[in-house]
Amino acid sequence: MLINFNKNLYRLKAIKLAIKEYQNLANFSLKQKRNYIQVELSNIDKSVRKIIKDEFCNYVFFLMKS
Amino acid sequence: MPIKENNQIKFRVNLQNYPMEAIYGAAYVFLSKAYLFLDNKSPEKIEVFLKGKKKFNKKQLEELKGEFLNELLNYTVRINLSKNNKKIREYIISQALYSAFGDDKVNKEDEIKYEDDPLGIAIPWEDKYGKEIEKTI
Repeated sequence: MLINFNKNLYRLKAIKLAIKEYQNLANFSLKQKRNYIQVELSNIDKSVRKIIKDEFCNYVFFLMKS
Repeated sequence: MPIKENNQIKFRVNLQNYPMEAIYGAAYVFLSKAYLFLDNKSPEKIEVFLKGKKKFNKKQLEELKGEFLNELLNYTVRINLSKNNKKIREYIISQALYSAFGDDKVNKEDEIKYEDDPLGIAIPWEDKYGKEIEKTI
């Protein structure tokens, strides 16, 4: 599962913080590609497979506020 | 025309009409109502993806978009008002701080110290009534 966060809209610090909080639900790998920060999720916990992407994106956005 | 599929609605917001701060502000409000994702493929337009946390039909998704745009407008007005009133706000705050400082100075000047003794309390009894008291006793 791949999520592309636009560098102009999302902060790397918030993404890293969110990964730290979600690391027990999946394996995360982070790459920077042109204008995007790519987050790849693997070995996702079955119980959260359907919602993890959306919840993670919302959480990153929430962290951007602080 | 917004795209509606997979319980999600996608639409574009023009940065010439709405400031980026307003988009962020409206987006924060929607975090509890929907899943939100932002992208910008062109520098002047932001793509907003809103996905229902529960199952929404097309009409409900359209309503969600409408609510988002209303919130966006609300934030835009607030930001514009804040910009327009910046000078007067700064003036009011500076006046408030100045008068608070000024009052403190005046209070210190008006303050009566105990050494001043305007009621003559510090004068010994004998100096004030000395002999008369001896007579009354």
